This record gives sequence, structure tokens and C-alpha cells, in this order.
Amino acid sequence: MLEFKNADINIGRNEILRDISVCFEKGRITSVIGPNGCGKTTLLQSLIGLSSVKKGSILLDGEDYFSYKPRERAKRLSFMSQFRENTPNITVAGLVEHGRFPHMGFARKMNADDRSAIERAIRLTGLYDERDIPACELSGGMQQRAYLAMQLAQECPYMVFDEPMNHLDFPAQREMYGLIKKLNRDGITIIIVLHDLNHALQISDNIVIMKNRAIEYTGTAKECLKTGIIEQVFNCRIHSFESGNEMQYLIG
Amino acid sequence: MERRKAYNRIYFCVIAFLLVALSVLGLLFGSVNISLSKLAEVILGRDTTSATYAILYSVRLPRVLASLLTGAGLGTAGVVLQSVLNNSLASSNTIGVNSGAGFFVMLSILLFPQNLAAKSLMAFIGAFATSAFILCLAYFAERSRVTIILAGVTISGFLVAAMNAMKIIDDDLVVNTLHFSIGSLSGVTMKNLLYPSIGIVTAITLALIFSKALNILTLGDGTAHSLGLNVNLYRIFFILISSALAGFVVSFSGLIGFVGLIIPHICRYFFRQDARLLLPASMLTGAVFVLAADLIGRVLFAPYEIPVGIILSLSGAPFFLYLLLRRGGKRVNA
Repeated sequence: MLEFKNADINIGRNEILRDISVCFEKGRITSVIGPNGCGKTTLLQSLIGLSSVKKGSILLDGEDYFSYKPRERAKRLSFMSQFRENTPNITVAGLVEHGRFPHMGFARKMNADDRSAIERAIRLTGLYDERDIPACELSGGMQQRAYLAMQLAQECPYMVFDEPMNHLDFPAQREMYGLIKKLNRDGITIIIVLHDLNHALQISDNIVIMKNRAIEYTGTAKECLKTGIIEQVFNCRIHSFESGNEMQYLIG
Repeated sequence: MERRKAYNRIYFCVIAFLLVALSVLGLLFGSVNISLSKLAEVILGRDTTSATYAILYSVRLPRVLASLLTGAGLGTAGVVLQSVLNNSLASSNTIGVNSGAGFFVMLSILLFPQNLAAKSLMAFIGAFATSAFILCLAYFAERSRVTIILAGVTISGFLVAAMNAMKIIDDDLVVNTLHFSIGSLSGVTMKNLLYPSIGIVTAITLALIFSKALNILTLGDGTAHSLGLNVNLYRIFFILISSALAGFVVSFSGLIGFVGLIIPHICRYFFRQDARLLLPASMLTGAVFVLAADLIGRVLFAPYEIPVGIILSLSGAPFFLYLLLRRGGKRVNA
């Protein structure tokens, strides 16, 4: 379980979020949704030091998140950032290898575990043919996949994605969802910031709604629909219907 | 991939060969040419009294060593700075670190003319103070790559003006620091090299040991942090390393430009952004580059000498432009 307890979160000297308490359950997929500028990214970026927790605490499996040594932390929780500086001029395989950084010892020599994790990550993301191509020469969508592969190679029980669908075309989005669901079935806790409400409702066990830099709602996706809170926050109407075995949502 | 590895191996072999060959040539040629057999006699210890011996030990050897240290130091510093600042325009020159070191060295020449240790220490302090200042500026003002370069150019201009002011105040300084301002290896002695060489070798070794962390830093703050790297700690560590390199090199060679900017670009063309290969490659290539430039400066108009700084800038600038244009609009990889 990842838990924010009465956290005040700053970016630089600007206080963005005040007294935030929210809980992400273990083994579940939790989506964070909310209008632009509501503080979703700021909330989660505190996990990778891009925003700072000034008051309160973050607990990971009951332990203070910031008490972990950086590499121990990186073995437990991986993060796909929405914003990235330029992609370095290294091959896709080289980028994926970086995902093993927290697992490697001081000599940074790869062992069999590292190699198999890298192989698996490249296979799962369908990047086998691109492995020797420089990541910076790939399209935005393919780069996104390469970073996902890097994150997979990190092999963490908690995976955080900040708008992972950026740059992805429709089939790639479907694949990404399939992959996230599969990871979750393998026992990985997923925390994901999404813009597409339809996708958020389909994929999530739990939903966290943020509005005006505060947590507006937390609960299961099903209950969330019943309360009509999404309609209220996003000022929209949701029609749900069943198609095949899946629920589909029409949002207008 | 295999082919690339083969190319990499060839690159290292060629550069290592050039390094040895140019070092030997550097010992042999100059205002007085020494024959290979004479060199062998001196190396084997059969000749310890002749003029040849004196020239080799007090002039040529320090000069070759100084070229090696300068090239290796600035080449490595370039890779480290460009990686840490995530900016392909960064080098100890463009962000003002060399000027910072130069300013302090000049101050040291003015205040303690005879103290060699003070000169090295002051160069390091100057380089580090400038790096730290630029880093703070970039951090607090705006995290933009352009900011860092602009701030560096500005500070560099300020420090050059300050150096000129010192020269106006003290007339002797103009003559004493002419070679320093251009960047020259003439007059380097073994004694001059002692402290800087220890510093440079230590800094390069540390950079090589922590090259994997340098790779992670190039992914940007957020990603590096999520991979479990202590970003702030390592950034300061690498800034310290590049400061040490730039500072110690400046302390004996003066304000040499271009090496730190160009060499990493050349090497990145072959080795991409993998610091584990890029660092040793830049170190060796930088050394070869400076050795060649110094040798050309010595033999071209012998017995007159052209300072290495002039040769480097005259040959480096067109070469770098060629590299930029040849890649036909493709971005220079950061």
C-alpha cells in the first residue's frame, strides 16, 4: 500500500498541494483523474523528487518512503514520467539496461537475472526489432515504449505511470492497457494518471478524483459511477452499456 | 551490433597507436631534432650527461606529459559536463569554468608569484566556484539548457574583463601571462606538473569508476531519481570532477579552448552516449589531439613556436563546423 498522509507538497518554493491524504491499495489498479492543473502530476512527482513533501509523510508498505535508500526505493517503486529531457543517444537495449541500475552492484556488472529481465521487457513491449536502434531516433510512441521497457526491466512491485498514453496511437494504447492489466494480474500494484475517462473506468479497480488541488473522491470504479461524481467534476454525462463481456462508457 | 563493436575496437586501437607514435615524435622533434637511437640511449640509461639528456628530461618529456594531461583532462571534463548538464554545448570553456580558473590563477601569479601549489589550488577553487555559481543560477532561475550556456558566456566575459583589468593594474602581468592567456605548453616543467597531474589522474579515475551513474544522469532528473540515483549528490560529485580537471589543466596550460567541446562530439559519433566507452575514448582522443597540435606548433616554423592554444582553435573551429554541417541538419546529439 502506498499512502500519502496529510502531505503538503511544493514545487520549488510554491506550495501546490495542502494536507493531502490518499491511499493506493496494494495489488490494485488505481487511476488518478481530474481536470488539467488539479495537481495529479505534482502529487505523484513527489515520489521522484520533482516535487517535495514539506509536511506529512508518504508510506510504502507501512514504512516511510523517504527512509529507503535510493536504490532500495527504486527496487520497490518505478515511475514513468510524463516529462522527459531529451532521450539520450543510446540503443533501445542500452536504455532498457538502465532499468537494471538499482539491481546492479557497485561494479555494475550484469548477471543472468539482469539479462533475462531485459530480454523479457523487450519482448513484452514488442521492441525486439528495434533493440539496436538509437532510442533518440525512434518516433515519440516508440520512445514511450522503450521507456516502458526500461521501467519493466526495473521489476518493481509498484509501478506508477504519469499519462503513459502520450504519443501512443490507438493500437499502441490498447497494447499498453493489455500490458498494464497483465502486469496487475501478475500481482503488480499500478498507479496511473489518465486523461481518457473511458479508459480509466474500464481498467481501474479504484479511482482517485482530484479537483482544485485537492482529493475530491476515492473509491472503487463501480461506486464512483453510481455517485455521479465524475459527471459533476468534468461537467459531462456518462452512458454505460455492456458490449461483449466488457462495460463500455460513452462520455459526452 | 557486432560490426559496431568491431569498429569500436578498431577506433581504440588506432587512437592508442597514434598516442604512442605522437608521444615518441613529441620527444624527438622540436627546435633541435633528436634521433631515435639517441632517444633509446637515454631511455636505456646509457646517456645521462649529454645535452640531449637535458633537453629530453627538462623540456621534451614535461611537454609531452603536459599535452597528454591537458588533452585527457579537458576531453574527460567535456564528456562529464555535457552529461551532467544534459547539454551538448557545455564545456569548461562555454560555461565559464576555464575563465574562472584563469582568473584565480592570474590572481595567484599576482599575489604569490613563486608558489606552484597555490597556483593549482587557486585554479581548482576558481573552476569550482564558477561551476557552483552557474549550477545555482541554472537551478534557481530556470531549469533551461540555454540559461546555463548564456550564464556561462556572461560570466566568462565578466572574468576576462577582470583579468584584463589586472593586467592594466600590473604591467608585468601582461608579459608574464601572455602565454597563459593564449594557452601554451612551452615552459612547462616537471615541477609545474606534479600537483596538477595527481589531481587530473585522480579525477579521471573517479569519473571512469562512476561512469554508469553518469549514464543514468543523462536521462534527466525525474527518470534518474526513479532509477534510484541520488541525483543531487552525483550532480555535485561530477561537477567537482569536471572542475578539478578544468582547474588543474588551466593551472599549467592556460586558457586552452575547444578540446572540451569538440572531442566529446567526435567520440559520441562512434560511441553514442555510453559514458563507459565515451569517457576513455574522449580521454585518449583529447590527448592525441593536443599532442598533435603541440607538435605541429613546434615544428611548423621551427625554431619559432606557435602556442598550442592557437593551433587548437585554428584547426578545431573549422573541423567542428565541418562536423556540424556534414550531419546535414540532423541534430548534434546531446
